[in-house]
Amino acid sequence: MNTTHRFIILSSVAATAAFFAGCANEGVQNPSGVPVTQVNPDEQGFVSGTGVESQDLVTVTDKMARSILSTPVIASAATPPRIVIDPVENATRFPIDKSLFTDRIRILLNSKATGRVVFLARDRMQALEHERELKESGQVTSSYDPNPVAFKGADYFLTGKLEGLTTQASTGTSDYILYSFQLIDARTSEIVWEDSAEIKKQGLEDAAYR
Amino acid sequence: MAPRAPALPRLMAPRKHEPTGRLTPLLFLPRGVVALLMLAAFELLTGCMDEVAPRPAIASTGDPIVDGNAELAAAPPKDRVLWDDRIAATALRIGNFDEAKAKFDDAIVRGGGIINNTADAAKARSLFHPEDTKTFIGEPYERIMDYYYRAILYWRDGEPDNARACYRTGQVLGSDVENHQYTSDFVLLYYLEGFASAKLGEDASDVFARAQATTKRHLPPYNKDANVLVFAEYGHGPVKYAGGQYGERLRFYTEESRIRSARLTVDGHEVRLPPYDNLNHQATTRGGRVMDYILGNKAVFKSTTNTVGNVALVGAAVAADQDSRQGNEAAVGLAAVGLISKIASAATTPRADIRAWDNLPQFLSFAALKLAPGNHSGQVEYLTKDGEPDPDLTRQVAISVPADPSANTVVFLSELPR
Repeated sequence: MNTTHRFIILSSVAATAAFFAGCANEGVQNPSGVPVTQVNPDEQGFVSGTGVESQDLVTVTDKMARSILSTPVIASAATPPRIVIDPVENATRFPIDKSLFTDRIRILLNSKATGRVVFLARDRMQALEHERELKESGQVTSSYDPNPVAFKGADYFLTGKLEGLTTQASTGTSDYILYSFQLIDARTSEIVWEDSAEIKKQGLEDAAYR
Repeated sequence: MAPRAPALPRLMAPRKHEPTGRLTPLLFLPRGVVALLMLAAFELLTGCMDEVAPRPAIASTGDPIVDGNAELAAAPPKDRVLWDDRIAATALRIGNFDEAKAKFDDAIVRGGGIINNTADAAKARSLFHPEDTKTFIGEPYERIMDYYYRAILYWRDGEPDNARACYRTGQVLGSDVENHQYTSDFVLLYYLEGFASAKLGEDASDVFARAQATTKRHLPPYNKDANVLVFAEYGHGPVKYAGGQYGERLRFYTEESRIRSARLTVDGHEVRLPPYDNLNHQATTRGGRVMDYILGNKAVFKSTTNTVGNVALVGAAVAADQDSRQGNEAAVGLAAVGLISKIASAATTPRADIRAWDNLPQFLSFAALKLAPGNHSGQVEYLTKDGEPDPDLTRQVAISVPADPSANTVVFLSELPR
């Protein structure tokens, strides 16, 4: 192979390599971004996290349901305590359907621990009162005397709060979220149970979006 | 002296050990080089061309939501958020709040996460695809507006904490960490975050101070007893265009709105609605994007390969003019390099993405007031630079305040028709 052939081959290879190479990304760190990874809250993350997702909901509510059942006021109660759910407060930067958390805890407790706690459907009071009024007025039949008020009062309120901390840098974004839940004695206002879960996530967007 | 052979075309000079029956440039090159050339050409002809599916014709019905949804259905998936945004803003302005909510939620779900390792984003970064190959989620000012508008709907639904969450995410999107600006200068995102916290019974003095530090305009102190929240917008937002030699620079065209303020009169009381935020300012004052750097590299590559192609082709012509075997061989090689460079240059697409949420306002305003339960009639006027109302834009406003003291009535006023 003479010098001219070598020149031709090298030139063609160089041109083709340049053709296929992603030269436009040169000098850009992590052009593809960094996948969101879950890290322990006490672990030093390289950036910060992202939002509330279904796996977080499942993890957090599973933990809370187990924790509630093991608390003495529930585990040792002579009669099943009546619980009313008070809406969770969202203090994070992520808009969410807040009822998902308390709904799943209620569903877990009702399905896995039948009879150990009783939830009162306060969110249905308008429909329930209307039904009682219909029965009282005789517009619909009733299998019981509708006159005395039979709506039960709450022994405890179950509520919670989601709080967050966001960190942002050129290396990415991270979000730490603290999910805390409380069982409050309706008579004394004492917090008889409280537990929390923490999740931290971090990620970096594709350079095409930065 | 032997007679000279008649001159052959410059680039087709015969080569040693090579049959001369069919004279094409490729026959003079080693097989490996030919293979590389063919591979490059194949890539150009296949991978570099996006297949554009024929778009069905949209018959206009005159209903902006119906027409918008038809456009959305016909649009490629990468433009879904763009149409979500446009439809949602229109729906909000005409009072179709369920539609607005559904579209903003879709836009936020699709564009609100951290997007990485997606094929379309990788393509957008590659040399041979334009930036608008990627899924549209908007520039930061557009993404912020998704959350700003969604927050209005959360207020309407009695969820001030979720509204506050929207403002907080808007602040994160508004900070420009790539250019070391770690705070947003979007006044209402701070002011309304604090207002939501105040309504939730929390201390909002810090965030109020931050909001006040962001603007020279005096911000009214929070009135926790306010039960009517007025959100106003006027003027037309920024328009994107592509600048630079190859359209590689994202630029914004802005035009100062004729309308500079608004005034709501209810029960004889005047409520001023000054411009607290300016989306033109938000769009044009942000620093450069990482993607601008990539597009710049694409433009340099395009320019360089074009120059290399020109030089190589000129060199090929000069070499061929030598009329010697070595000269002809060099000419063939240079011509091949020149051809590849020119093809690569032509295929490189540094064009910036100029898809835009094109029905955004320029100015945003807010006011909170306390009204007695019941129905109230008011009037909104949009004021020009001279402080005079434009009579063509004056509208009557009906405000219904519920008896529930914890409920907030949201009034959304827009100068924009759709």
